[in-house]
Amino acid sequence: MQDNTFDELADLALRQTGQVFQRSKFYLMEARLATICRRESFAGIDDLVHCLSERPNQRFEAEIAAALTGKATHFFKQRETIEQVVNHALPNRLKHSTTGRLRVWCAGVATGQEAWSLAIRLSELSDQPLGKAEIEIVATDISEPALQTAKSGTYGHYAVQTGLSIDRLITHFDRHDTGDWTIKSDLMDRVSFKRHNLLESGEKLGHFDVILCRNVLSKMAPVMARQAVGKFAKQLLPGGFVFLGKDEDIHAQQPTLKPSRDMRGAWVPVERDESAEEAA
Amino acid sequence: MKTCLIVDDSRVVRTVAGRIVQDLNFSVSEAGDGAEALQACREMMPDAILLDWNMPVMNGIDFLRALRREEDGSKPIVVFCTNENDAEHITEAMRSGANEYIMKPFDADIVRSKFVETGLV
Repeated sequence: MQDNTFDELADLALRQTGQVFQRSKFYLMEARLATICRRESFAGIDDLVHCLSERPNQRFEAEIAAALTGKATHFFKQRETIEQVVNHALPNRLKHSTTGRLRVWCAGVATGQEAWSLAIRLSELSDQPLGKAEIEIVATDISEPALQTAKSGTYGHYAVQTGLSIDRLITHFDRHDTGDWTIKSDLMDRVSFKRHNLLESGEKLGHFDVILCRNVLSKMAPVMARQAVGKFAKQLLPGGFVFLGKDEDIHAQQPTLKPSRDMRGAWVPVERDESAEEAA
Repeated sequence: MKTCLIVDDSRVVRTVAGRIVQDLNFSVSEAGDGAEALQACREMMPDAILLDWNMPVMNGIDFLRALRREEDGSKPIVVFCTNENDAEHITEAMRSGANEYIMKPFDADIVRSKFVETGLV
C-alpha cells in the first residue's frame, strides 16, 4: 500500500465517522475494503483511492467510511454488561416509568448480535415485571451491509456457536438446510434496525432509557467521540443510563459523561445531579 | 489443574481438540470410542468430556447415558462435539444429559465459548 493511500483513507475515516487508524493497522483497511474492491474490480486499495481522487463521489466515500468501521462482535459479548442492563438499569427505569414502556438504543451494533442477545435475555424474564414491560430495542449502525445481516437475524455456523449456549440456540433460532440459523419470528419483532451515523443528530430515533454503545467511542478521535456523546446526552431520557464497553474508560478524555454514582457500570451526562434526582 | 477427556475415533480431531483444550489450562487424556472412554472414567472421573457422536464399539450417546448412571457420573461436564447438527440430534443429546453441544467443524473460539457457557473456564 502506498503511503498516500493510507493517509487518504485515514482522513476519510476520521472526517466521516471519527474513527482513528494507526498506520500499523493498515492491514485492517485492506481487509475491510476487500469486498468493495472486488465488487468494483479494483486491483487493491491503491486503485480505489486513486479512483476516488480522480472522480470524487460522496456516496462512495460514505460507503467506504462505513466499511472501514470494525464489525467484530459475538453473541452475549461482555455479558456482565447485558446482565447489568437487564437486572438493574431497566428495572430501575421501569420503577420510574408511568407508561410501562421502555426504550433501548444499541448504537454501533454492527451485525446485530448485541441487540438479539438483549432480546433473548429479556424473553427469559417472562415471570418478572420487566418481562411484562413493553421494551423497544432500536439498533443502529453506519454500515448498510452489516445492518442487512443484523436485520436478517441470520448467522452462520461459527457465529451461532460463539457466545450462544446450545439451549438459547435451539430455543430462539431455526436452522436452515444451508447450516445457517435465523432468529425466530417472535423475537424478530422486538428489534428495529436503522442506519445511523453517531456523529449526526439522533433526534429521528427518539429518546431512550438506556443507550448501549460498546467499543465504539474508544476507537474515535477524542473530539469526535465527544461529539457523539453529546448526541447521546440529547437522546437520553432524564434518569437514563449509557453503557460503554467494559474496559472503555473515556472519562479523562470525555468530560461529557461521568460514571453513575448509583448504577454500577453505567455512565450519565456530567450535568446530571443524581442527588437531586434522589430527592425528587 | 482441571482434566478433560477427549473422546473421538479420529486421531486428528483428538490432537486438534487436545491442543485447544490444553490452551484453556486443562490436562488432557484421550479415548477412541465410548467403551474406552467409560473405562477411563471408571479409573478417574474427569472434569470435562468432549464427546463425538458416531464412533465404533460404543457411540457417544450410549456412552453418555452409561456415564450418567455411574457413581460420580453426573460430575463431568459433557460437551458433545459432532457432525450431527440438526435440532433433533441436539435435543436428544441434551435430554440424555449433555451440558453443551458443539457442531463440527469447530475452532478454538467455539470450544472456549462452550467451556465458558458451562462454567469450565
